[in-house]
Amino acid sequence: MFVFFTRRGRWVRSDGQLDGDWETKRKRKIADITQALSVDPVDVATLRRMAISEGGLLTDEIRCQVWPWLLNIPPHLLDQEPGTDYNQVLLDVQRSLRRFPPGMPDEQREGLQEELIDIILRVLQRNPQLHYYQGYHDIVVTFLLVVGERLATVLVEKLSTHHLRDFMDPTMDNTKHILNYLMPIIERVNPEVQDFMQQAEVGTVFALSWLITWFGHVLSDFRHVVRLYDFFLACHPLMPIYFAAVIVLHREGEVLDCECDMAMVHHLLSQIPQDLPYETLISRAGDLFVQFPPSELAREAAAHESMATSTFKDFELASTQQRPDTVLRRRRRQKQGSPESSTANPVMTVAQPSTARRFVRLAVMGLTVALGAAALAVVNTALEWAPKLDLFP
Amino acid sequence: MAKQYDVLFRLLLLGDSGVGKTCMLRRFTEGEFDPSHISTIGVDFKMKTIEIGGLKVRIQIWDTAGQERYQTITKQYYRRAQGIIFVYDITNLPSFQHIAKWASDVDEFAPDDVQTILVGNKADEEFGRQVTKDQGKKLAETYGMEFFETSASTSSNISESFIRMTELVLQAQMRDVDDLLGSLDNYLDRAALQEEKGSQDNDAQRTCAC
Repeated sequence: MFVFFTRRGRWVRSDGQLDGDWETKRKRKIADITQALSVDPVDVATLRRMAISEGGLLTDEIRCQVWPWLLNIPPHLLDQEPGTDYNQVLLDVQRSLRRFPPGMPDEQREGLQEELIDIILRVLQRNPQLHYYQGYHDIVVTFLLVVGERLATVLVEKLSTHHLRDFMDPTMDNTKHILNYLMPIIERVNPEVQDFMQQAEVGTVFALSWLITWFGHVLSDFRHVVRLYDFFLACHPLMPIYFAAVIVLHREGEVLDCECDMAMVHHLLSQIPQDLPYETLISRAGDLFVQFPPSELAREAAAHESMATSTFKDFELASTQQRPDTVLRRRRRQKQGSPESSTANPVMTVAQPSTARRFVRLAVMGLTVALGAAALAVVNTALEWAPKLDLFP
Repeated sequence: MAKQYDVLFRLLLLGDSGVGKTCMLRRFTEGEFDPSHISTIGVDFKMKTIEIGGLKVRIQIWDTAGQERYQTITKQYYRRAQGIIFVYDITNLPSFQHIAKWASDVDEFAPDDVQTILVGNKADEEFGRQVTKDQGKKLAETYGMEFFETSASTSSNISESFIRMTELVLQAQMRDVDDLLGSLDNYLDRAALQEEKGSQDNDAQRTCAC
């Protein structure tokens, strides 16, 4: 009997009829394979027998699990999900045109892009503990363009297991931790700027791409990029964060002139000026590193709350202070201060409910306008406390 | 400084890496299209002011890195969003399948009243299509979202989807303000009644004291 296997994983006979016998055998086989995979060590002999016997390994899902065992590939190599990384590398390299010298012939550039993919995948395959991140390609392309494929592979591999190691963890927790050094450095040099940024709740995400690409992603002039790479390669792995702080401090005037709003400050800071005085900034970053070494900042950086937590608290505080009852109480206190205060006669307030109502409505409308209709969260809180409103004491 | 707009809304683009979030945004805000544009690292936004029913609405559209590991960073921005545009690539089935994951994260981290729409981008690449329009529509229905197929390349449906998203946010905000004012009225009525009762009691006490 001729039997084949459809993509959906159903056994069918050539005449299109389901074969009951086969269904039973198939289920039994799946159970046997699952069993062979679940024992420790994995029962490779059984898996081999299953692969050879009638129908083979049945489904592609099973093949994904069994084929590596048939080829004796150690499991830790499978954990790195090479597929996911591979696709991501491809996507990012395809979108890296801007990183190649303008005017380079397409053919030459395409050749380099191939080499770029090869280097990245080679390093990742040889170091399964390393995880690709978007931006890693910006670092590798810099080395490729300067020293060529062979040397770039060696240098990048070393760099990835040292300077860039934290960025290549399975998660970005360590990357976030390094970003936490930024504000303490700024605070030491210019507390006013730090305070302003804190109030704007801007966080440090604007500096993320600077840090993890060593500025390769954001500077358009390649000469500036390699100048910085000279500097960073010769220094402590945390130097890029000192340099990021120096850029912010260099722009202190612009920062303080900016609207104290998260989006506005984030936007201002993430657009890096292309005409920075690199040599001055480099020596300043070096000075700051000596003055405030990482060991001195470590505790603050560790204590630095994640942006999500701190801004949420700030936000709650802001909404408390902006709650209409606070506004109204404040106004009432002012009113009480004046001699012709109407609160001297409690009946007055009741006698004029429409005035009071207009007053409250105005206060609420004023709030929504002042904060932008966007700040509806505040208004929603207002609804929750409305029953407690103490308008007529 | 006089504001150039009446209201400001924050929208957020979410979806897998390479589905065309940045391209959609650049097409909408700058009228440009460049598929070789750089990958987004972290988050950034672009602004545009549009007019809806005589109201000048400034929209701040936040663009995010699509690689999964960045979510720990981009999630911090969900909370600020009033509208979220989920984007997948019609020529990339996994990007469509991942919408469920994006949507569940939004459930967890975004405000409850956030407005959402679903967009299948790259609709001009019919030859590579892996997700039918029907599948897109059905998924959108499951989540109660509106659905668009767009092309940043040909500009098809790009402004339509951004404008519709903005309208939905605007409508939701209007509803909230109306609800609030309604319940304020109720509250004030009750407060006035209680106060009236309270002051009568006071009068009675005063009489006794005399």
